[in-house]
Amino acid sequence: MVPYALGAGQVAAGIKSREFSGEEYVCQLLERIEKVEPKINAFVTVSKEAIERARTIDKKIRDGEQAGPLAGVAVSIKDNICTKGIKTTCASRMLESYVPPYDATVVRRLLDAGAILIGKTNLDEFAMGSTTEFSRHGTTRNPWDISRVPGGSSGGSAASVAALECAASLGSDTGGSVRCPASFCSVVGMKPTYGLISRYGLVSYANSLEQVGPVGRTVSDVVSMLNVIAGADENDHTTADGRPAYSLQEGNGPRVGLVREFIEGADSAVAKIIHKAVDTLAGQGCKCEEVSLASVQYALASYYTIATAEASSNLARYDNVRYGFDMSPEGYEWNSYFAKARSNFGDEAKRRIIVGSYVLSSGYYGKYYLKAQQARSLLKRELKTLFKKYDVLIGPTMPILPFKIGEKIDDPLKMYLVDIDTVVANLAGMPAISVPAGFADGLPVGLQVMADEFREQTMLDAAYLFEQAAQVQRIPEL
Amino acid sequence: METKIGLEIHCQLTGTKSKLFCRCSCNYRGKAPNANTCPTCCGLPGTLPLLNQKAVEFAGMISLALGCKIPDEIAFYRKNYFYPDLPKNFQLTQYNAYGITSIGVEGVLEYGDGKSARIRRVQLEEDPGRLVYEGGSIDTSVYVLIDYNRAGVPLVEIVTEPDFVDPKDVRMFLNKITSIIEHLSVCDTKLEGSVRCDANVSVGGGNRVEIKNVSSFADVEKAVRYEITRQKTMTSRDIEVRSETRHWDDARKVTKESRTKEEEQDYRYFPEPDIPAVMLGSEFVSSAEQSMPELPDARKERFVSKYGLLAHVAQVLIDNKELADFFESAIKLYPSPKEIANWLVTDLMSFVDERQKEQERSLFAGLKVGPEHIADLARLVDQDAINRATAKQILGQIVRTGEMPSHVAKKTQAGKIDDIGALAEAVDSVFRAEQAAVQDARRNPNAANFLLGRVMQATKGRANPKVALEMIQKKLKED
Amino acid sequence: MMVTKEEVKHLGWLARIELSDAELDRYTSQVEEIIKYLNKLDTMPLEQIKPIIAKKKFADLRPDKSSDFEGDALGTKYRKDGFVKGPRMT
Repeated sequence: MVPYALGAGQVAAGIKSREFSGEEYVCQLLERIEKVEPKINAFVTVSKEAIERARTIDKKIRDGEQAGPLAGVAVSIKDNICTKGIKTTCASRMLESYVPPYDATVVRRLLDAGAILIGKTNLDEFAMGSTTEFSRHGTTRNPWDISRVPGGSSGGSAASVAALECAASLGSDTGGSVRCPASFCSVVGMKPTYGLISRYGLVSYANSLEQVGPVGRTVSDVVSMLNVIAGADENDHTTADGRPAYSLQEGNGPRVGLVREFIEGADSAVAKIIHKAVDTLAGQGCKCEEVSLASVQYALASYYTIATAEASSNLARYDNVRYGFDMSPEGYEWNSYFAKARSNFGDEAKRRIIVGSYVLSSGYYGKYYLKAQQARSLLKRELKTLFKKYDVLIGPTMPILPFKIGEKIDDPLKMYLVDIDTVVANLAGMPAISVPAGFADGLPVGLQVMADEFREQTMLDAAYLFEQAAQVQRIPEL
Repeated sequence: METKIGLEIHCQLTGTKSKLFCRCSCNYRGKAPNANTCPTCCGLPGTLPLLNQKAVEFAGMISLALGCKIPDEIAFYRKNYFYPDLPKNFQLTQYNAYGITSIGVEGVLEYGDGKSARIRRVQLEEDPGRLVYEGGSIDTSVYVLIDYNRAGVPLVEIVTEPDFVDPKDVRMFLNKITSIIEHLSVCDTKLEGSVRCDANVSVGGGNRVEIKNVSSFADVEKAVRYEITRQKTMTSRDIEVRSETRHWDDARKVTKESRTKEEEQDYRYFPEPDIPAVMLGSEFVSSAEQSMPELPDARKERFVSKYGLLAHVAQVLIDNKELADFFESAIKLYPSPKEIANWLVTDLMSFVDERQKEQERSLFAGLKVGPEHIADLARLVDQDAINRATAKQILGQIVRTGEMPSHVAKKTQAGKIDDIGALAEAVDSVFRAEQAAVQDARRNPNAANFLLGRVMQATKGRANPKVALEMIQKKLKED
Repeated sequence: MMVTKEEVKHLGWLARIELSDAELDRYTSQVEEIIKYLNKLDTMPLEQIKPIIAKKKFADLRPDKSSDFEGDALGTKYRKDGFVKGPRMT
């Protein structure tokens, strides 16, 4: 296989053993990016400095120095994660010219591990969306069918990995934003337990729900990324103690629960593939049973209450005074300046800010926000009970196949409904991963595997077991 | 007409090294604009608040000193509103409407003579940045200039119940608060803007008016007094007092309607997801109690019981921490507490320059005396080297020059005349000059004091009065 | 329960976002539909469910040490003598 098509682990091994150089590898990637980007549009910024960085890594290896576990591996970073000195736009006019003066902790850890930052990837504005259509930089296209959406909000991350533009990526997942595009693009994407990975440098959209999540072509690559970025950070007080290390292992036949509400809500084409996945798992010695998660019925309402409420406050800082786009303050009274500058948010961002302001406004706290938090408790309680009996809970990551670009963009609520399978993990703060399960009419279907909080190893074991047995890997024709 | 006054005091925790949620220095005064900032206190995307442990400890001590209950857990809320001095367009603060989250509730503070005021709550919050108007005036500036150096500095807000009825009480209460804060070493009240106070005033059960923008504690009494008069006047004319926020105009000494129409604000409070609730519990409380410095009331008790000072004298000392500290330093040099206390309370205080004290917020601003001077003076008087009158004169001199009293005493030969011979001569000459008085004194011993007075006059106050009186009495018996 | 155009306009003001008439038209029905969906929460069982609150020990709070940030935290070019220039106050 050409170096640029290799997984993260294989690239690291190849560069370390000097089978090929980092510089060769990065040059190939940049060529590949140039070739496919006109079709895919996964990147907001491509980092030409990557070659220089690759040369540095190559020299370190030649000199016999320690270059790090991911030395030379090209990684793309979602454009809502701060990279020092590199424009970080969140796909919004409100951060059009923003260059962060600091690195996010996850970026720092990747760089310290020798990774090469190949570029910043496209997203829905401020991570609010499920298709990457709400971006100022145009939509990203699904590498399996460029007339269709790649999923979102980390569409650029998933597409760049699927289209072999990089070995792995970091996205962010608030209501499914890593798993959804991973499913639609047939790659592996996970959301960790809330607090496992530092959010310092992740631009906040809904801070009680979101986490940075790695994306790779295999479970093995996701594990490699996780081992570098996970663990306590003094710059994020919501991180849990300790620096965990995960291994790639198949474990021994986990007890599997198939969530009835998820499978029943899925299109038949999707359901068919998931049932086949269940058979595969059973064939590997897993005990599989159907289970019910009744409080799923409140999940979307709870998610969209909390997420919009937090978003309305997190996005208040974008008044264009300290950072933003070029608009002189002279000639304006401050209220007018703020209102005019902020009219440059996109439709979806504006809608969520309005809904969020509504649910938090005077007198409504008990009716919406408080109830939504109680729904989270209810859901978590129910999940905890299930996890006493089952090691993992599975279902389709998305209830539908990747749809045509523009299909749901005028109906916000219809768009929100596709998140039904993914928001549960965010609300409960539990880990969940999407692995490719198969193709229906040439379009990807993802299997979601969920585990109890801080049980990433259990979840990864089941995912790896399935991946090795199912052998779904393909490369899109581009 | 029943008057109700409530206070909202903001106190910067200048005693911490860093800001409330980031590692920037808390000491922002005198720094170039925006030189004391970082991504977090500027509200840059992706930054997260990191709660300062010392700030929580200090806030806990303030709560305890005000007799408050400290909850098992504290939490932070977002107060959402837009303003150019607010980097995130929300302020991180504490809020009790959905459950107690603030560091202290339900306290009470005694002050003055037997008065007390209830403390509704004590909470931690962050200070916003500072706005500066080009050309100095909010009306003429074409743009505003923003300095974020102060943004994120820890504030403790103390809210009282409307238990005050007299503006004088407000002043006494604020003095006590100042004394407590200084004794705790959590805030240097001398620094400009380190303590601020807003007041709420209502008269005769009418609407409540909030007074903001009072620049110093001393002005609060004036502002409240003015506002009470304003409200009483309106009420007596059957004009309704509107519920509103008014600003104190320091130049004209009046409260004015707020220029910017402060609309009914919907702050949309909700808990800050980036700051987990902090578990305090009994361990925190007992640790805070143990590490608390001596509070003014306890110090007063000690002055009375250990040094035998009169209660009212001790009170004057502790009312101003500087004075109490001065006292304790002086008695270390010369252990005569009652004598030294007297010199401080009666004599030294009379030299305090009110204006300079205001300006530099220091009791002894402009005065050149330190504990060593008073210790020296007290020693000279105790050892009978000089008499009290002379000592007072010397004090008057040295507050301006800073010379040591013993130095001055030697220089001007202001020593007492112990020389019996010289004294006998003085007594003789007085007896010759005041024959009628001498006759009086032979009949009525108390009248000897008049003769003593004459002897003191004749010796320009340098005579040792005890010795002189003995001589006079002896001479009266002769004959 | 109706979400009116006036309410959306007020919310726009609360959030300091200038909304055009076209936007007000478009958003009002969409926002109403979303709020109606969120009212699903009213159908939750009314038992006393305590929200999950993350906790932290006092000992794990940030120690009070100060350090300077190297670099300029403020990226806007609208500055004067170090101050950030903002729109006027009145």
